[in-house]
Amino acid sequence: MLNLFEITDPQNSIEWMLFLTRKYLGMFIEGTGLTLYIATIGTLLGFVLGYVVGIIQDLGSSTGDPLVKRVAIRLAKLVATLYVEAFRDTPMIVQAMIIYYGVRQAGFEMTPVVAGIVVTVLNTGAYMAETVRGGIGSIDAGQREGALSMGMSPMKTMLYVVLPQAFQNVMPEMANTFLTNLKMTSVLNVIAVQELFMAAKTVGGNYYKYFESYLVIAVIYFVLCFAFNQVFLLVERHMRDTDDYALAVEYLEGD
Amino acid sequence: MDEAILNIQDLGKSFGDHEVLRKIDLEVHEGEIICIVGSSGSGKSTLLRCINRLEHQTTGKVFFHGHEVGDAQRDVNEYRAKVGMVFQSFNLFNNLTVLENCMLCTRKVLHLSKEEAFGRAIEHLKEVGMAPFINAKPSQLSGGQKQRVAIARSLCMNPEVLLFDEPTSALDPEMVGEVLGVMKQLASTGLTMVVVTHEMAFARDVSTRTVFMDRGYVVEDAPPSELFTNPKSPRTREFLSRYLAA
Ligand SMILES: Nc1ncnc2c1ncn2[C@@H]1O[C@H](COP(=O)(O)OP(=O)(O)OP(=O)(O)O)[C@@H](O)[C@H]1O
Ligand SMILES: [Mg+2]
Repeated sequence: MLNLFEITDPQNSIEWMLFLTRKYLGMFIEGTGLTLYIATIGTLLGFVLGYVVGIIQDLGSSTGDPLVKRVAIRLAKLVATLYVEAFRDTPMIVQAMIIYYGVRQAGFEMTPVVAGIVVTVLNTGAYMAETVRGGIGSIDAGQREGALSMGMSPMKTMLYVVLPQAFQNVMPEMANTFLTNLKMTSVLNVIAVQELFMAAKTVGGNYYKYFESYLVIAVIYFVLCFAFNQVFLLVERHMRDTDDYALAVEYLEGD
Repeated sequence: MDEAILNIQDLGKSFGDHEVLRKIDLEVHEGEIICIVGSSGSGKSTLLRCINRLEHQTTGKVFFHGHEVGDAQRDVNEYRAKVGMVFQSFNLFNNLTVLENCMLCTRKVLHLSKEEAFGRAIEHLKEVGMAPFINAKPSQLSGGQKQRVAIARSLCMNPEVLLFDEPTSALDPEMVGEVLGVMKQLASTGLTMVVVTHEMAFARDVSTRTVFMDRGYVVEDAPPSELFTNPKSPRTREFLSRYLAA
């Protein structure tokens, strides 16, 4: 069998892809690593931010609360709304530029990777906030009232009753967001993050073989997303299964 | 005369310009079983929800042991822990098992130890005949079973008063009996109860006082022996005759 990776004189696009992959294997692997790293950290922190902002947007105040608390809640909701709108209504590539250069102009040091993570977190947070708010809204009001009616505080009610149920509804969207982020990290090449897209750009430039070089990363993105998607589907199916319960026979009474 | 646990004075509630409750005065004393009856839309649920602070009244006051129930969240939480509520739609926590449903609030509100909370949960689940189902999720139970768990869950808080909003209205006819049976048994233990119901036989046989509501007013408030046999108001008479005919 011809060893496909031993090509020294590539003749067609397939051969070029193999050639470039072999020659720049290190760069592609590093690019994949960084893409995964930024997408994972960015998504996880983004989820946390999204939950916090989503909960803030869902806060209500009762007329009995002190004025300070009511004003604080109003203010927090306003800030949350401004943040969500700002990040949902501008492109991520522009956000990356503004944050990276804005921070530098303000006189602070920030590596491209950190800037990339920050942009991903803020972007994810804004979208997740909306998703979480929707998830909270989809939980029947009776669930909340059941807890409140027994003296649970609104915060505890949210934490122990509403959020765990909202989480299940939000799960598919969370998986989706991770896959989106995996692909969206490609825009971070504009602030010189050495992720996959940047790797392809560099490699392509060395031989003027852009088509083949980008095809290589297209395959990598595809395999990553496809594999993660299968895993998420499995997890989701596993979580949805309602297992049978065991009757507690020790409490059965023969009456 | 003993001091009332709950004293509702001149309570009014409007949704927009829709007046749902008007000038309600009601006292609840220890050991009383008060049944509230009345046609649909007369404001019965709204009254219970105002008592439990799920709704905020437009006018009037609610006193608990002579102290006005304030609006501060902390006071409201403390008060609700002593005045429980059972809903028509059960409102069991869908993400938790039967046992967890009965332990959540005793743990997080009363801060009982795990052992104490477990002990109470089992005690009250036994009382309603649901102890064997501690591992089940609400979605795996019948309506009657769910309501019995919901009652046990409320009892775990050791409430001074338990409010019931049509606890059997969402049930299939064959399950109504098992829930009413549990409630009768609770009544015999001396638990103070306020029950909104369409089960006239229950009101007649179990209540110590029956309250008839119509269009947001308390029209009549009397022992069932009087209200059912000799209603003073023509409205009450009309309502009862419609029910007894049906
Ligand atoms: N949140 C709300 N907003 C607006 N109107 C409401 C609200 N809750 C109740 N109402 C109105 O208040 C009136 C009384 O409702 P309530 O649920 O208290 O009646 P009810 O006596 O419990 O009736 P039922 O026997 O059907 O349960 C109804 O006309 C209802 O439409
Ligand atoms: Mg009602």
